[in-house]
Parts: sequence; structure tokens; C-alpha cells
Amino acid sequence: MSNEIWVFAEQQEGKVRRVAFELLSAAADFSKKTGSTVAGILLGSGLQEALKSLTSYADKIYLLDDPGLAAYTSDAYLIHMAPLIKEHQPSILLGGATSTGKDLFPRLAMHLQTGYAPDCTGLTIEENGKLIAKRPLYGGKVFAEMIYLEAKPQMATVRNNTFLVNQNLNKSAQVIPISSPIDPSSLKKKVIGLEKAAGAKLDITEAEIVVAAGRGIKAPENFKIMEELADVLNASVGTTRATVDEGWRDVKDQIGKSGKNISAKLYMAFGVSGAIHHILGIGTCKTVVAVDTDPNALIFNYADYGIVGDLFQIVPALTEELKKAMAEK
Amino acid sequence: MDKVDVIIVGGGLAGLSCSYELADSGMTVIVLERGDFSGSKNVTGGRIYLNPLRNYLPDLWKEAPLERHVTKELITLLSETNSTTLELYSDRFNHLPYPSYTILRAKFDRWFADLLSEKGIFVIPQKNVNDLIQEGGKVIGVKTEDEEIGADCVVAADGILSFLSEKAGLRKPFQPQHFALGFKEVIALDSKVIEDRFRLGEKEGAAQLFLGTLTKGVMGGGFLYTNQESLSLGIVVGIQSLNQREPREEVYKFLDEFKERPEIKNLIRGGETVEYSAHLISEGGIHIKPKVFGDGILLVGDAAGLGLNMLVTVRGMEYAMASGVLAGRTIKMAKEKNDFSASSLSHYEKLLSESFIMKEMSNYQHTLSILENQRLFTKYPQAISDLFEKIMTVDGNPKEGLYKMISRELKKEFFNFQTFKDWLEFRKI
Amino acid sequence: MDIYVLVKQVPDPEANVKVKSDVELEIENKYFTNFFDEIAIEAGLKLREKFGGKVTVLTVDNKKVDALRRGIAMGADDAIQITDPALEGSDPFAIAKTLAAYLKDKPFDLILAGRQAMDDDAGIVGPGVAELLGIPHVNMIVGLEIDDPKKELKVVREVEGGKEILSCFLPALFTCQKGLNNPRIPQVMNVMKAMKAQMKKVDLAALGLSAVDVGGQAVKIKVQKYLPPPKRPPVKMIKEDFPENVKQLVKLLKEEAKVI
Ligand SMILES: Cc1cc2nc3c(=O)[nH]c(=O)nc-3n(C[C@H](O)[C@H](O)[C@H](O)COP(=O)(O)OP(=O)(O)OC[C@H]3O[C@@H](n4cnc5c(N)ncnc54)[C@H](O)[C@@H]3O)c2cc1C
Ligand SMILES: Cc1cc2nc3c(=O)[nH]c(=O)nc-3n(C[C@H](O)[C@H](O)[C@H](O)COP(=O)(O)OP(=O)(O)OC[C@H]3O[C@@H](n4cnc5c(N)ncnc54)[C@H](O)[C@@H]3O)c2cc1C
Ligand SMILES: Nc1ncnc2c1ncn2[C@@H]1O[C@H](COP(=O)(O)O)[C@@H](O)[C@H]1O
Repeated sequence: MSNEIWVFAEQQEGKVRRVAFELLSAAADFSKKTGSTVAGILLGSGLQEALKSLTSYADKIYLLDDPGLAAYTSDAYLIHMAPLIKEHQPSILLGGATSTGKDLFPRLAMHLQTGYAPDCTGLTIEENGKLIAKRPLYGGKVFAEMIYLEAKPQMATVRNNTFLVNQNLNKSAQVIPISSPIDPSSLKKKVIGLEKAAGAKLDITEAEIVVAAGRGIKAPENFKIMEELADVLNASVGTTRATVDEGWRDVKDQIGKSGKNISAKLYMAFGVSGAIHHILGIGTCKTVVAVDTDPNALIFNYADYGIVGDLFQIVPALTEELKKAMAEK
Repeated sequence: MDKVDVIIVGGGLAGLSCSYELADSGMTVIVLERGDFSGSKNVTGGRIYLNPLRNYLPDLWKEAPLERHVTKELITLLSETNSTTLELYSDRFNHLPYPSYTILRAKFDRWFADLLSEKGIFVIPQKNVNDLIQEGGKVIGVKTEDEEIGADCVVAADGILSFLSEKAGLRKPFQPQHFALGFKEVIALDSKVIEDRFRLGEKEGAAQLFLGTLTKGVMGGGFLYTNQESLSLGIVVGIQSLNQREPREEVYKFLDEFKERPEIKNLIRGGETVEYSAHLISEGGIHIKPKVFGDGILLVGDAAGLGLNMLVTVRGMEYAMASGVLAGRTIKMAKEKNDFSASSLSHYEKLLSESFIMKEMSNYQHTLSILENQRLFTKYPQAISDLFEKIMTVDGNPKEGLYKMISRELKKEFFNFQTFKDWLEFRKI
Repeated sequence: MDIYVLVKQVPDPEANVKVKSDVELEIENKYFTNFFDEIAIEAGLKLREKFGGKVTVLTVDNKKVDALRRGIAMGADDAIQITDPALEGSDPFAIAKTLAAYLKDKPFDLILAGRQAMDDDAGIVGPGVAELLGIPHVNMIVGLEIDDPKKELKVVREVEGGKEILSCFLPALFTCQKGLNNPRIPQVMNVMKAMKAQMKKVDLAALGLSAVDVGGQAVKIKVQKYLPPPKRPPVKMIKEDFPENVKQLVKLLKEEAKVI
């Protein structure tokens, strides 16, 4: 077994996801303790930019730049990654708990017959290289510290915003190009298209700031004031199941047990009552603000700051106030 | 149309108890509940008296998830700035079988429903019944959003606003004075903290009632019950009395302000509100009781108007459960004769009137009019607390003789014609 | 089409879950059929309505079969419970192994599972089964279009910032999530039928597995310690009148929380 920590440098359309940089930064910290080498593993097609963005974050980059990998599919990635992992035997393999990470890692772990901790909100390492993965269970009602038994690599996917990106790692990675031409016809599925979501906002799982409105917003067109608020903060707009079920918002923006878990630095909820199903999705957010007309709304139990008030009054005023505050910066 | 023997509409205590009685009868019984599960929509202050129920449901209680048996009764009279609490602890409350328990319905009803499922009753949640099917004045089934199901007998256990009883023509339209409004929060607290704050032994519980300024002259009061790991804190106010109040008040504020009272604040400190709910309570008593049977239909529990509001103790759960059992017995009898006509089902009325339910309802028939007396919620609690405060206060002035002071205060506040009249009224309670 | 749906009975999101000791949890007895599995069942039923065939619900559980009953009540044709004392303590990988062992010689066209089980929140079983059966999978789908089960089909999965449309052939495995459909509420008569239904039981021996393949002995990662969620400090209510409260909030976010 090698003493390498691998980070799956997930990219989409040639751009490496932020969570990969977060994980590389964490891995750099780990390596100080264990003396490991930090390696990124980058798969796709047309990866010049992606590679450039990564080199200062890793000691090594395993690069698979192949037209056959233009779009992610678990089959293609598995066929390429599994032999490589078997060959180099990294002790740890980390990825983001993204749509792709959650699609690939469980299958890969099954293939490699190794331990995998999904959707982690914390990782620590011991000097002997043993990883301890912290992850929420039951939607975050409890957390578990997981330890790996013998099999390697120790695999985990980690939520966005769990670690900070360290821009000063100043490494210069050795690039190890891998060529493993595959026969595209051997693949059982292929991607035939990508529909971009309207607007350029980050997915709510990735955004550092999420502002959300629930049924209190009363009508779909009123989300406009939320978008305006989000624009000032460079935030994304989330919502509750209630508005999704009403057909006001797309399910991709639903926060909570049957939607998404977010780990934002700042979460602001307007007209969200705070049902447990919703709260379970915001458990790892750092600062929570709640605005609701009902002083008894349960959301206030989970907030750091609360205002009893009308969102139609508060949101526009807040947008203006924040504009001023941002301008001062 | 598919057909079963009995359809019970409403999976609350009344409906579940009725099906429990029918569990070994060989009949096909279904309970239709509109909530996601039984108990999901139920609100109860949270205190149940078991003694009257032991005859009706003798085997139910051993495993039942009840909260704490009540060993301590407290009544608190609140005025603007002070309060007096009367505390009763009786050893008798702490001997088996315990007379009363606190209860959380979400937990209890769900458990009860699961138990019934094991006994072969079909308790089916997520089913809103939206009409009765009638034929020549006889109830022959129910309609849900997408189904029609027939039955020999339908039991309306659909709670206080029972619209089945209205559809069946068994009751008159409701009036606001027939209802009180209850607000309740469940506040999670560690069981040790609860036991320390209320000075209770393990598993022991307290029931505390509040009268006075908290309802701002509106008929009603507050309650606080200790559960195993939470407190049920609430307020009950009469709707009519609320509507008449000037200036109008938003009711939820009552509960907020109640929580801000130091008497309460210190009891709930550090707790987290995990549930918040509002529900109607029957106030009409025996005067508004509908006809409880018809051709092919029986009414039970709140749907049958079986509920009492005595001062601030709300009673309804025992009535719901016992009436459910009595309806079950009636149905079994009707099944033997294979006669579900009104005259056959009238046996239920007879069983009810012989039971503790109708005896209590008639004993308390004057409560409502007495409760409408505003002085009960304003003047008297205030006067008693003020008097108590005077007795206990030592200020710079020489303290006058206790007897002198008390008799002067009593004369001022109580020995007048109005109080005398009130007193005569109260004796009817 | 021959469709298998993997289902699990899990604690309701409203159930209390508490840490009892380092390695033990106390779970309130409030269970329901995993929300995402109902979506999977619904997807299976819709396809059967279109193409005919059979929907079988399948669970690995020694006690709880209500998820199977829910499946039958919704309209599944058959229900199978894999049960064996040796399964106690199995992790999602062992569950996947067990399910795959059952499925490997069945004539399935499609296997459907939930996005994740609402207890372990793992999302492992679906992809794990697909890997063991050597069939393609797509995780967390929000769209499924099949015109002809023999031809290429289209599935849609959500990715950050958009939706990805994929194509593949059957047999395949998909895990389902909200957005794919709204599960039907079963009819009363079907619920009654389901409550009376006998589940077919299968044990490990029948699957050619033994105790070492599953249960506590097979785990590759284990819980060292359960922890309660970190406690939030009490809320600070901003009581000033509008618009002072907004100004105050911005100030607090900037100076106290330092998040903007
Ligand atoms: C199995 C299951 C899974 C679920 N999963 C999820 C999930 O993943 N995510 C989720 O969110 N929900 C989920 N739910 C639903 C959840 O239980 C709640 O119903 C939902 O979260 C309520 O959404 P809401 O807060 O928008 O609406 P409401 O509960 O209706 O609350 C609206 C709030 O707006 C306030 N309001 C109204 N007007 C104004 C105003 N002008 N200004 C300010 N405030 C105002 C009201 O006081 C109220 O507090 C799930 C439920 C189940 C059963
Ligand atoms: C705040 C408050 C405090 C109280 N405190 C106490 C107390 O301390 N002690 C006490 O004994 N009593 C108390 N009560 C009264 C007690 O809760 C009721 O009397 C009792 O719950 C009545 O039981 P039930 O089964 O008749 O009705 P419910 O418990 O109301 O059950 C009716 C059921 O029918 C269902 N339903 C209704 N309509 C339909 C439909 N169309 N289709 C399908 N299902 C339907 C409902 O969802 C519900 O589950 C209190 C009540 C309140 C509101
Ligand atoms: N014990 C089980 N029996 C049958 N299916 C299961 C079981 N556990 C999980 N599944 C299926 O796998 C999905 C993901 O589960 P998990 O990997 O545990 O999060 C669930 O939504 C189910 O469809």
C-alpha cells in the first residue's frame, strides 16, 4: 500500500468543483501529520484549464484526458479508476458529496470491497493514517464517528463547505498522464445531454450563502424579491417542500429531508415555519437567520438570529441595507 | 361498491377504542383517519383519568405509553404582578393503580393504532372521508376522495367539528359559544430537569392549572403538564368571550405573554418548543349534545359532543374512549340481531346514560354559564393573590394585626352582593 | 416488464433518535416506508401500467415488513422478505450483497431503489446491487422515459446547476428521488388486502450466502462513537421596530457572526 491520499478532482465542463479544492486543502493538512503524498485524480476531456487550476494544490495529479470521458458516467469512471486504485493502492480516497460523488463512490467502494463513509461533515486523521469520518445519520439527529477496518482505500464523500480552501499551498504537482483507451461500445450507458438550470447561481448545496423562502412568500412570482436579495449576497435561493409541492419552485431547490442538505456559511429563512423535515436539511449550516410573522414558528428554535416580521417588508429593506454594507467593503 | 361490516371515521381515541371493542367480534372493521397516522393531528392538554376507564378497557394500560402519573396538583391564581399557588400532594396519587396520567397523543394514539392493527383491525391513515352514502335516510357507507365503501354501520368518531353528524342530520349547526380554543406547545426538557423543577420523583408528574390575568378577562385559563421528557403548556379561551373582548386580541399572544411570566419562564427555561398546535374544545356540555344514533350510524367522543370544560380542566379523553367502547358493544349486539336500524342502535343511548359520562355531563351542566362570569378570571384571582401578598409583605410600616387585615380585605373584595350571587352560582359546579 | 423494487421500513423523520451510549442509539418506535422507496414503487407501477408485467417489492429485514405491505397496498404483485438472524448488524454493503444474491438469477428488466434510506442516509445499496449484478445504474433520477423496454431508454438525473440526460439499455438499476413522481395513496381495499397478505420469506441459505458474508462480520467500516448533534446557542431575537431591526441584523451578521 502506498502512503497516498487521493482526492477525486471532480470537474464539470472543464471546471474543477470547489469541493475538490476544499478536500485537497484538508488532505494537505492530513499529510503533515502522516507524511502522505496528496494526489488529485482528474478525469475528463479537454482538461488543460482544470489541470492548471489544480497543480498548486497537490503533489501529484493522475490525469486521464480522453474524449471518451467527455461526460461523466459511473461505468466509464469506474473502468478507469478501479485499475488505477488497485495499482497504486492509495490509503485514502476522498470525493465531494455531489451528485456525481454520490453516484460513483458507492459503486466504486463495492467494486473495491472497501469501506466507504458517505456524505461526511467532518474528517480527522490519526498519525498512523487511520481516517475518522464524521457523518450525520437519521437526517442529522445524531452523528457517527466511523472508523475503517483493514480494507483500503478508506473512502469518503464530504459535503461542500466542510473544509476551507487554502489558497497558499503553493505545491507544484507532478502530472502523471494515464492512458487507458477504452472501447466506448463496452459502456452500457451514455450521457446524451445536459440541461442547464436557468440562471447562473450555484447549486444550493455548493453556495456559501443560501436564502430561502417558504409558503410565507405566498406566490411564485414573489420569489423575485428573494432573487434580488440573493444577487446582493452572491447567494442561491432555496425553498421548502411546501412551495415545491405547490409547483412554485423546482425540486432542485428544496432543502430538507426529502430534498437537499445544505452546509452554508449563512442560511436565511423567510416565511419558513421550521418543520423538522426542513430543519434536518440545515443542521450543518453555520449561521442561521429566521424571519417569520409568527413568533411561535419553530424555525426560531434553530436560528441564531430571529426577527418577527413580514418578509415582504423585511426582504426588500434587507436587500437595500446589504447593498450599502457590501459597497462599504 | 366494496363492503365491510363497520367503518369508523376518525382514528382518535373514540374511534380506536370502538374498534378495540370490536377486535374479537369476527367483524371486518376499518378505521379511516385523515392524518398521516393516528395521533398526528390530535391536540390534548394531556391528562387522562384512568379509574373510570378501567371497567371499559381493562387490559389496555399495562403496555400503554403514558407519560407520568400525576402526584401533584397545583392551582395558580395569577394577577398582573403576583400569583398564589395552591399545591396538593396526596400519597393516594402515588399508589397503584395510579388514578391519572399525563399523556402525549401523538405517541399514544399511534401506539394504540399499531396495537389494533396487530389485532386485525384495519387502521388506515391518509384517508379523508368527505361524505356519507345514504339510502332512504339510512347510512350505508362513506365516500373518500376516490372510493365508496359500504358498511352495516358507520361510526362517526371524527372529532369536535364532526361533519358526519351534520350530514346524518343528527345535530344542529354550531354556535361560537359552544367552543373554546386551545393552544398548546410541547416543550422538550430533560427528565431530570423536570423532576427537579417540580420536585417530583422518577415517573411522577405534576398538573398545574392557571387562572387569572393571563387570559385578560376572557373566559379560560392555562395548563401545564409534565410529560416524561417534555412539558405541555397551553391556554384555553372561550371563543364567544374572546370575540366580545374589546380591544380584540390575537390569541396566540396570550400564550406568548403567558410564557413570559416569571412563574412560567423559570419552569420552561432551557426547553425547546418541539410542537405547537391549536384545536377547538367543546364547551356546550349536555345542552348541545346531538342525537348520538341514527339508522346505520353512531356518534362517539367529541363528535357526539361528549366533553366538558370544568374551569380549566378539559375532559374529553375518558368520554371518547368509554363512548367508543359502548358503541362497540352496541354494534356487537346489533350484529347478533343483524339489525342496524336506529331503534336497534338506540341501545347505545341507553348505555351512555347509564355510564359515568352522562352522569358527569349532567352534574356539570351549569358550568358553562358560570364560566361566563368574567370575575372568575379577573377579580377573584387578583384579590386572593393581592391579599396573600399583603399578608406576606413586611414593609417599613408597622404591620397591622393579621385578623384585622384579612377581614378588612375580605369585606372590601368579597362581602358584597355580587360575590354572594357568584358564590351561589359556583356551588352548582 | 419484470420490475423489482427495493424497499425499507425506516424511522419516520419525526421519530426521536437519541444517543444512548457510544455505540447504541435509542430510536422512537415510529416507522414508515422510506419516502424515496415509495417513489420507486410508484415508478414501477407506472411502467407496469404501460407495459404490463410484474412489480415485486423486496426487503431485507428480520422484523419490519410494513414497507412490503405498503408496496402491495400501492399495487405491487408480489412481496419478498429476506430474513435471517445472521443478517443482524449488516451494513448497506451487506444488504446490497444479500439483495444481489437474490436477484442474480431472477429474470428482471429493471430494479428500482430509493435515493437513500432515511436512517443510515447512505445511498449505497442501489449502486452496490448494480455493481454486483454487473448492470448499469443511475443514481437519484428525476425523470424516466421508456418507449420500448427493448430499446434505449432515457433517464434524467439532477446535477449541480442542471439536469443530465442519459441513455441506456435494460436491465438497469435506478435510484429514485423526489421530482420523479408523486406516490399514490393506496385505496382502502388494497390496504386491507396488503394487511392480510402473507410475505414470501427467503433465508440466507437459499441465497447461497452464509453468516460471514453479512452481518457484523462483513463490515469494512464501523461506528466508533455516536454523538448528539452540536447544540445551537439560543436564538437572539432582534426586537427593534422596522426598519431598525434590519439594520441591526446586518450589523450582527457583519460584526458578530462575520459571515458577510
Ligand atoms: C416525509 C416527509 C418529508 C418532508 N420533507 C421535507 C423537506 O425535505 N423539506 C421541507 O421543507 N419540507 C419537507 N416536508 C414538509 C414539512 O413537513 C413542512 O410541511 C414544510 O416544510 C412546510 O413548509 P413551509 O415552512 O414553507 O410552510 P408553512 O409550514 O406553511 O410555513 C409558512 C410560514 O410562513 C410564515 N409567513 C406567512 N406569511 C408571512 C410573511 N408575510 N412574512 C413572514 N412570514 C410569513 C408563517 O407564519 C409560517 O411560519 C416533508 C414532510 C414529510 C411528511
Ligand atoms: C388544548 C386541549 C386540551 C385538552 N385537554 C384535555 C385533557 O387534559 N384531558 C382530557 O380528557 N381531554 C382534554 N381535551 C379534550 C380531548 O382532547 C378530546 O375530547 C378528545 O381528543 C376527543 O377524542 P375523539 O377521538 O373524539 O376526537 P379526536 O381526538 O379529535 O379525533 C378525531 C379524529 O378524527 C379524524 N378525522 C376528523 N375528520 C375526519 C374525516 N373526515 N375523515 C377521516 N378522519 C377524520 C381526525 O384527524 C382525528 O384523528 C383537550 C382538548 C384540547 C384541544
Ligand atoms: N434492508 C433493505 N432491504 C431492501 N432494500 C433496501 C434495504 N436497505 C436499503 N434498501 C434500498 O436501498 C436504498 C438506499 O439505501 P441506503 O443505501 O441504506 O441509503 C433504499 O432507498 C432502498 O431502496
